[in-house]
Amino acid sequence: MALIKEALKQLFQKPATLKYPYEKLTVPKDFRGRPIWDMKKCIGCGLCSNVCPSGAIEMIGKGLEAEINHYVDRCMFCGQCAEICPENAIRMSEEYELADFDRSKMLHEYKKDS
Amino acid sequence: MSHGSIIKVPFGPQHPALKEPENFLFEVDGEIVVDVKPRLGYNHRGIEKAFELRTYIQNIYLAERICGICSDAHTTCYTQAIEELLSVEPPPRARYIRVVIAELERIHSHALWVGIAAHEIGFDTLFMYVWRDRETVLDLFEMISGNRIHYAMNTIGGVRRDISAAMVPKIIKGLDFLEERLKYYLNVVQTEQTILKRTAGVGILKPKDAVNLCAVGPTLRASGVSNDVRADDPYAAYDEIPFNVITHSGCDILSRTLVRCEEMLESIKIIRYALDSMPEGIIRVQVPKKVPQGEVVSRIEAPRGELIHYAKSNGTTKPERYKVRSPTLANIPALCKMLLSGYVADIPIVLAGIDPCFACMDRMAFVDIKQNKKWVWTMQQLRRKYAKE
Amino acid sequence: MGLDYAAVKKEVRKRMTAETIVSLIRILVFPGAMFLFALAFFYEWVDRKFFARLQNRYGPLHTGPHGILQPLADFLKLLSKEDITPHASDRLVFALAPVFYLALPLTTLFVIPVLDPTSFIAFEGDLVFVLFAFTLIIITVFLAGWSSINRFSTIGSMRAVLQMLGYEIPMGLVAFGPAIAANSLSISRIVEWQSLHFWLILLQPLGFAIFTVCLLAELQFVPFDIPEAETEIVAGWRTEFSGRKLALLRLGKDLELVLASALIASLYLGGPQQFWLIPPIVIFLVKTTFAVMLLSLLRAVFARFRIDQMLSGMWKYLLPLATLQIILIQAGLGG
Repeated sequence: MALIKEALKQLFQKPATLKYPYEKLTVPKDFRGRPIWDMKKCIGCGLCSNVCPSGAIEMIGKGLEAEINHYVDRCMFCGQCAEICPENAIRMSEEYELADFDRSKMLHEYKKDS
Repeated sequence: MSHGSIIKVPFGPQHPALKEPENFLFEVDGEIVVDVKPRLGYNHRGIEKAFELRTYIQNIYLAERICGICSDAHTTCYTQAIEELLSVEPPPRARYIRVVIAELERIHSHALWVGIAAHEIGFDTLFMYVWRDRETVLDLFEMISGNRIHYAMNTIGGVRRDISAAMVPKIIKGLDFLEERLKYYLNVVQTEQTILKRTAGVGILKPKDAVNLCAVGPTLRASGVSNDVRADDPYAAYDEIPFNVITHSGCDILSRTLVRCEEMLESIKIIRYALDSMPEGIIRVQVPKKVPQGEVVSRIEAPRGELIHYAKSNGTTKPERYKVRSPTLANIPALCKMLLSGYVADIPIVLAGIDPCFACMDRMAFVDIKQNKKWVWTMQQLRRKYAKE
Repeated sequence: MGLDYAAVKKEVRKRMTAETIVSLIRILVFPGAMFLFALAFFYEWVDRKFFARLQNRYGPLHTGPHGILQPLADFLKLLSKEDITPHASDRLVFALAPVFYLALPLTTLFVIPVLDPTSFIAFEGDLVFVLFAFTLIIITVFLAGWSSINRFSTIGSMRAVLQMLGYEIPMGLVAFGPAIAANSLSISRIVEWQSLHFWLILLQPLGFAIFTVCLLAELQFVPFDIPEAETEIVAGWRTEFSGRKLALLRLGKDLELVLASALIASLYLGGPQQFWLIPPIVIFLVKTTFAVMLLSLLRAVFARFRIDQMLSGMWKYLLPLATLQIILIQAGLGG
């Protein structure tokens, strides 16, 4: 019967469950969500594409004209690309609600004029 | 006991008692377990081969994903191994941060275990409460590292993120809350009659058997044997932080529960000390991409016991061979010993008592050292050897 | 040799008087089958909601206001799933067991007063009938598991029968406490007696406690849900049932909950009684809801026993206490 006082106390407290998606928690600063490329800063060095452990980053072309394809369904949000980028062009955003029924939505293309 | 009354009960690979697939074939006479045959390997993913195909930096994240619960243990062991091959020392602040993260992980892993063990004996209310309070640790991880599981804090040469001064009061507040709740749960475990009836005297593992069968971690420490890699072979900053190695001499599941609960409280003390006396300075050093030729064995105290990584490098950017021996594999023979002559009703709680993490455990390749051959068995060979029934 | 339809029609019309129609409505709708099914779903909702709140979570939330339609939704969903009968099972028993499991509590509920202090069917000795029905329910459980042939079901049904050996005698003994006090073996008379004197819980608190514990074992609630222990033997005696049969089993379990709480309310809490202007049925609902919440609370704060611990506990502690209660009543303390 050791839990009985605690159990009865819970009746008067708000439940710990969040009524997602009507109630959402705010994510803290520096949360590792989806990485976003700033193509104005990208110099097309290819370091992010080489270091990605799951092969989620594809660089098309080379140098200042390069474009980036990021496959969210392969990404593991480790942040290694953001860490290794010499120009700080990659930022880990706060987005985590990335699931979708449509596979084509999993590809994010970063063209040079964006 | 007539032979005709023995029935074979398969546990797994799909079973509500097991969180991960594994097969145990029990021979049961009424309610008493007469024999147990484990069949392992359902969670084998080819990780050791995958290590050989990726660079050392990419392998940090592969090592992390060997297991979700003890992910930091695997990265700590890995980065330690590679740092040893490179003859690089992580800076002092990085070593203290590694201790903080490792101990926070120990708290979250043991809290998860307490919830699962409560669920196995039908005590869902305790399961819900413990997991609700475990959310505090996960929120702290999210604040420190950016993610609740797979914190990716370690890197070769140090840690990737710093614990800023603004974070420390929040961590202390979380720890104070946790300490109060954990003391309450320790009290519940020691006084609730139904828990005591199910766990006291169940799953006995005598100290001699524990040592002979190579048990590790809380399973070993609950049989009175004081073996803890943090004390016997200190790594990270454990040689500078005073702490107690928790043992109990009950040899049953109740002792294992008490060892884990008290280890959680001890971890809170370690984190407080580490945060207090954390040295200033840089958090990582630059390391070259190519690792010189060599072999290394690195071991740490994961939440489940002693974790060993072996690495062999050949001067390139990718390892030549990597081997992981996780603590659950070491506990399986001891587990089989514990299950014999017990009741069927006790099987789930005894299984849960070693804190099984089959994701960590399953990797096998057979190596014949004399003939220098390496092979994996095919389905036909396995069937011929083991499918006697 | 054909049937003389004209003569049959005349006969049916002669017998189908207003009385028969009213009786049919009372059996099938109110306070009969439909009402009892609705009550079963309602009490399952109360149980799930209260159990969840004790664990600091919400429980059913979405279907209907506050999730009140969730049990009905679960029932309808199960009805639409595939119903698989294992190849090696005993088909007839396998198919009939859920039907009996549903029919037994339903029939037994007719002897418990719901609308007013006299039940729909009342006769001297219906308390014994209720206890007999409980035994039949467990035998149905045993047959359900045994006919499934599955290893887990076999272990589950063995455990169910062993459990019955433990709780049946104490439960029977203390159930006679109110009968001795009211000098009658009819539940309706016991309820009447309580409306003239005191609630029996005040006079026989020990009996009330023992009766509740034994009912927990009968309903297979934690700490006595040993025959269907999810983490040990998958679903015990229920493992092989799916689709329609599982829906009937779940509805039967809910009806057992109604039966158990209605028994507690009638034997110890006074049953349906007129209280000022509030009709008796509302009082009955309030008392049974309280009984359901009590059973939920007990379900939440304990872990599961092992079968040998349960049996030894029942015989070593509950049986002597039950005997003590009867001795106390005979000695004059307790009506």
